[in-house]
Amino acid sequence: MDSHAAGSSSGGSGDGAAQPRRNSRKPKYSKFTQQELPACKPILTPKWVISVFVLVGVIFVPIGIVSLRASQQVVEIVDRYDDACVPAGVTDKLAYIRNDSIPKACTRNLTITKDMKQPIFVYYQLDNFYQNHRRYVKSRNDGQLRDKSKASKTDNCDPEAKTVDGKPIVPCGLIAWSLFNDTYNLIRNNETLSVDKKGISWKSDRDHKFGSDVLPMNFQKGPLQGGKILDSKIPLSEQEDLIVWMRTAALPTFRKLYGRIYVDLKENDTITVQLENNYNTYSFSGKKKLVLSTATWIGGKNDFLGLAYLTVGGICFFLAFAFTLLYLIKPRKMGDNSYLSWNRATLGR
Amino acid sequence: MAEDHGSSRHMSASQKELGDEDARVVRVADAARTNERLDLAGNAVRTAKYSPLTFLPRNLFEQFHRLAYVYFLVIAVLNQLPQLAVFGRGASVMPLAFVLLVTAVKDAYEDWRRHRSDRAENGRLAAVLSPGGGGAQFVPTEWKHVRVGDVVRVVSDESLPADMVLLATSEPTGVAYVQTLNLDGESNLKTRYAKQETLSTPPERLAGAVIRSERPNRNIYGFQANLELEGETRRIPLGPSNIVLRGCELKNTAWAVGVVVYAGRETKAMLNNAGAPKKRSRLETHMNRETLFLSAILVVLCSIVAALSGVWLHTHEEGLELAQFFHKKDYLRRDKDNDYRNYNYYGIAAQIVFIYLMAVIVFQIMIPISLYISMELVRLGQAYFMIRDTRLYDESSNSRFQCRALNINEDLGQIKCIFSDKTGTLTQNKMEFRCASVDGIDYSDIARQRPPEGDRIWEPKISVNTDPELVKLIRDGADTEQGTQTREFFVALATCNTIVPMIADGLDPKKKVIDYQGESPDEQALVSAAAAYGFVLVERTSGHIVIDVLGEKLRYDVLGLHEFDSDRKRMSVIIGCPDKSVKLFVKGADSSMFGVIDKTVNSDVVQSTEKHLHSYSSLGLRTLVIGMRELSQEEFQEWQMAYEKASTALLGRGNQLRNVAANIETNLRLLGATGIDDKLQDGVPEAIEKLREAGIKVWVLTGDKQETAISIGYSCKLLTRDMTQIVINSRSRDSCRKSLEDAIAMVNKYQSFSTDPQLRVPLALIIDGNSLVYIFDTDWEEKLFEIAIACDVVLCCRVAPLQKAGIVDLIKKRTSDMTLAIGDGANDVSMIQMADVGIGISGQEGRQAVMASDFAMGQFRFLVPLLLVHGHWNYQRMAYMILYNFYRNATFVFVLFWYVLYTGFTLTTAITEWSSVLYSVIYTAVPTIVVAILDKDLSRRTLLKYPQLYGPGQREENYNLRLFIFIMIDSVWQSLACFFIPYLAYRKSVIDGSSLGDLWTLSVVILVNIHLAMDVIRWNWITHVAIWGSIAATWICVMIIDSIPIMPGFWAIYKVMGTGLFWALLLAVTVVGMIPHFAAKAFSEYFIPSDIQIAREMKSQDFHDVTRPEVQMSTDNIKWTREFGKFLPLSLSQDAAGQHNIILHNINLGECCQCQPRWS
Repeated sequence: MDSHAAGSSSGGSGDGAAQPRRNSRKPKYSKFTQQELPACKPILTPKWVISVFVLVGVIFVPIGIVSLRASQQVVEIVDRYDDACVPAGVTDKLAYIRNDSIPKACTRNLTITKDMKQPIFVYYQLDNFYQNHRRYVKSRNDGQLRDKSKASKTDNCDPEAKTVDGKPIVPCGLIAWSLFNDTYNLIRNNETLSVDKKGISWKSDRDHKFGSDVLPMNFQKGPLQGGKILDSKIPLSEQEDLIVWMRTAALPTFRKLYGRIYVDLKENDTITVQLENNYNTYSFSGKKKLVLSTATWIGGKNDFLGLAYLTVGGICFFLAFAFTLLYLIKPRKMGDNSYLSWNRATLGR
Repeated sequence: MAEDHGSSRHMSASQKELGDEDARVVRVADAARTNERLDLAGNAVRTAKYSPLTFLPRNLFEQFHRLAYVYFLVIAVLNQLPQLAVFGRGASVMPLAFVLLVTAVKDAYEDWRRHRSDRAENGRLAAVLSPGGGGAQFVPTEWKHVRVGDVVRVVSDESLPADMVLLATSEPTGVAYVQTLNLDGESNLKTRYAKQETLSTPPERLAGAVIRSERPNRNIYGFQANLELEGETRRIPLGPSNIVLRGCELKNTAWAVGVVVYAGRETKAMLNNAGAPKKRSRLETHMNRETLFLSAILVVLCSIVAALSGVWLHTHEEGLELAQFFHKKDYLRRDKDNDYRNYNYYGIAAQIVFIYLMAVIVFQIMIPISLYISMELVRLGQAYFMIRDTRLYDESSNSRFQCRALNINEDLGQIKCIFSDKTGTLTQNKMEFRCASVDGIDYSDIARQRPPEGDRIWEPKISVNTDPELVKLIRDGADTEQGTQTREFFVALATCNTIVPMIADGLDPKKKVIDYQGESPDEQALVSAAAAYGFVLVERTSGHIVIDVLGEKLRYDVLGLHEFDSDRKRMSVIIGCPDKSVKLFVKGADSSMFGVIDKTVNSDVVQSTEKHLHSYSSLGLRTLVIGMRELSQEEFQEWQMAYEKASTALLGRGNQLRNVAANIETNLRLLGATGIDDKLQDGVPEAIEKLREAGIKVWVLTGDKQETAISIGYSCKLLTRDMTQIVINSRSRDSCRKSLEDAIAMVNKYQSFSTDPQLRVPLALIIDGNSLVYIFDTDWEEKLFEIAIACDVVLCCRVAPLQKAGIVDLIKKRTSDMTLAIGDGANDVSMIQMADVGIGISGQEGRQAVMASDFAMGQFRFLVPLLLVHGHWNYQRMAYMILYNFYRNATFVFVLFWYVLYTGFTLTTAITEWSSVLYSVIYTAVPTIVVAILDKDLSRRTLLKYPQLYGPGQREENYNLRLFIFIMIDSVWQSLACFFIPYLAYRKSVIDGSSLGDLWTLSVVILVNIHLAMDVIRWNWITHVAIWGSIAATWICVMIIDSIPIMPGFWAIYKVMGTGLFWALLLAVTVVGMIPHFAAKAFSEYFIPSDIQIAREMKSQDFHDVTRPEVQMSTDNIKWTREFGKFLPLSLSQDAAGQHNIILHNINLGECCQCQPRWS
């Protein structure tokens, strides 16, 4: 066909050349308009397929080993205290936690299972607390947090937008209202471990998101107290617990940084935790845990990543092997036109 | 050609006759009175759709005809309800607004251009007769102020402002020449006449005359009216030859004066301006099916979320009041009973409903809104490449490929059946006079020569080679009987036509060049032939013609002319000869002529002429038979009375004229016959062969007779020697039924013998128009269909335009086969509009076919690159793009869905709402559009070399339910990988929603772009830019969104990018997500390769052609056919009586030699 097309068009242009048209509408030739741009046309040859799988395997297995080791280097001590801190004999935990007149102090002892190098991160972990619940996550006003002049702007903050007598709440919204208010005091060998609560929040949040001149107003004045009461003399940008809390967690079980300890802990050290169990998680059967953990480049303790990498690497090696076998058992000559369906039909006869 | 053209005219001829009650009354030169009573359109035209005021409502109204847009509108409205506000105001309206805006801008631009051209058109000046003041004079007036009834004067080369009845022209005979290029594209000049009665009257004195005309209609070939002059009772008939239409140009005439009868939008040109009917591509129809599936998935997802949220609310009901994150009561407000009011909580049932609706809002992009606009852009790009393809440019007519419909590009890749016109499509429609049978003697196969130069004064533009023997006979044989007959024959050729000679000075001052202008190329060829033999038509007026007979100018009075019509299939003129005799010359199709020829006069001549005719038509020539009769005085007078009566009749004029003609056209003496060669266009046989190899059935529908059609069929390789022909040409209902039944029996027999497709005997069905009439009249369509689909080739001869559409419809109604109709003439319009894809040939026969078509091109052979290359690409690209768009949006929605399961089923999205909105608009839209415009699965050369590669499109292999299901499974897997790998890694960590959301956003965008990248076949720099640029753009967008301090996710991306885990997860998600797709692709491409895959490998390895010789296959077939022939019961048992119903030509190679056409 090609030769034919070329022949006839050259025949046609022969006439054209003899008396060139003044305004020929012939499209101008360019590689682009004729769809002939230089291009690379990769084809999945057996060589390619096998090398890709092997390559992925070669990359993934070491990463898997490294991350698994990193995860295993992390020492993590988790202590669930929500149940244990309710005195024995209390049947209605909800009434207990809501009764402000009962002191909520509680003492827990933790044993360090392995040497922990500083810095050691102190987290609190809440289970089943839906910080990503739609009603909750939307209930905030970011403008109000950073700008003093916008204190009265409480859109989206319902139902914690204004006090009963209509004064704007700063910071408004459910998130701020429900600020976590358990406190921990760590003691080793009768010596208080100082927990550094500076710098637990993001610097960007302190600098840009929470105003240094915005002071809490009318906060927690409602009939139901949701959580911590903020010191109305300290600007929001320095209320780091609030800033951490307001980075709402992605998942219903989450940790939040409480502070850091810049002391190494030894194996079999006993840590006494004096805590105040104020925060109500009993209404939704949430759990509260205190977590002490070291960190590596993959964050806290989580073997998943390492295992996942090892698995994927293994599967890729397997696939490379399987494809090699298949290619050997059932080879096909690439680009052999006898495989074309219409030629195959003739051959089959 | 004569048939084709005539029948088209017949079709379009207005069937209703003019009655007084519905006539339009036009008072000449009295526009005020004409317009006062009736509601007549002014001459201002308006092609623009919108005015600035109406643009917004009308354009929106039109856009919302798309159901999908209504869906998105409903969702945007839902989102505005406070209880359902999932997205912010801006984010929810943006996608729809964006799509609407892009389309609106496009529409506005187009409309602005139309406004501009309207203004230019309406502002042109015309000279209108103004009755005021001292003596009437023509005053320049803007076109928009011209009214019906105005008398307008037009000078040479000026355009006509409205449809006007001619009153007078600069020519004493009242003739005016117009060029109708703008109207029907025919560049030759048409003659129009002013009536003798008005010719000499100054136009201002005509005031008071009344024209009664038919109502405005779009038939440009028909007009009926009469003119009543003041103080006269006689009504002068007016016909199509008395009207000049808006858009035409006056040529070769110094001036013409006419009265406006139709103006503005009522002119025939404007009435014909309605574009082609809107067609919808097959892929788009299928797409709707999958869209329904997606809607079902959407409903399922929403139901799951709503149901689970109900369960969740129920199990957590007690805790909700105090749970900090739910805050069921509004403690700051109390109701009448002094209880705390519920805050935004209406009970579980209501909550479920709200959650359901919110889920619809969040998951809305399951239905890809951007797909519609992407498809439009892609089609635009594809059209650009088709138009710019130098291989679709026709040098001879200087025409590019035209895309007139922009929404069926991909249909070009799925064609299974082509319906082609013959004349002007397969053939060039450049007629050449080849053979003459005069007085029973054949002058065809003798060596022809160029006519001798020198003594000739008149030089026809089309030169015809002459037969010296015939020339000699004419010159010297004046006294012999044979010589007289021959002269009469040529006089007939020169007179019996409607050709107008245009005379110009030649290079040699002594010579004149004659250009024969006329509507029928056949007539041009005949008149040119007559001129070559010395009978030069040099002048034509409405009353007489002048013929230069061998150097002597003779005047012949044209006393009457019966125009060609497709019922009679002939035309005739009544001529007053210089020797005072009155002669009737008739020419027409042989089938009609032999009915009116007196066979007793010279029976041997009749017999030999019939024989010649048969041999001409088997050579593929178009034949015409010429007859004549000398009229006696009585006969003539009788005819004249009848003719005048008929031609002034108001009611049934057409029928009456036809009757008059039929009465006089009897007992003719046969003069002879002509054979005109209609040359094949370039490359037609090769093109047809390629198309057939590609598995496309080619049907040829022609107005020609059976023999001509068959021989053209052979010469263009439509019919081949190994084919078994089934011929149905019945002359009665009963025989037609019998033919059909026999044919079915035959077809069944063949099919039962050959189950193996390789052993199949190719069948050809040849059927004529008469049989089709019977078939379509009755309910035998089913039978015809059964036969037709079993045949490889179908040839329909002697078909009328409407029958062509009927045949197309026959296939369209009963199969899902994609049909394509290609034609060039007005008679193909119905077929072009009926077929799924209509293609117009921009050639000789005017522009009507092009106007009605979806695509237009210069040559039939362009079909091959158009279908096999562009069609293949378009289909493959569009199919992939649609699937990919479904997959892409579904993946995103699934990721959102998995997250919703971890948010208490409350439709929180970790991905910011802006990313949700931008996802299908910015993050992933460009690469798919670029790939769908630029990617090529195979090169042009490969596609042309292996036409079978067209098959995947026909079999819908690139877009079907299976592929859809596969890609959806892939989508679910990738969304699982994308969601759960980060989820499991970040479980029980400090990760915040925004950081995780950014990770999901990026990983899903990377996944779908890598998926696309894996399927791209040709990587050029634009593809690279689009795909990698798109990922980069996403990254930048996410960074920008995270740089706004009042967004909850402020700085999240920067923070999370600083951790090693983020990068490790991104890599893991991409690899895990892609492994199944990659493995499946590697497996299927190697172990179950498609033809396309193999061809691609061949190309890449530069395998040089070791194709199995095709010849081997066909010789096998022939051998087999021969053996099979023995079993044929009807084989070669032709009935000598001629009334055969079925002839089975089992043509073997040997037998075919005799009918081997002489194409060289």
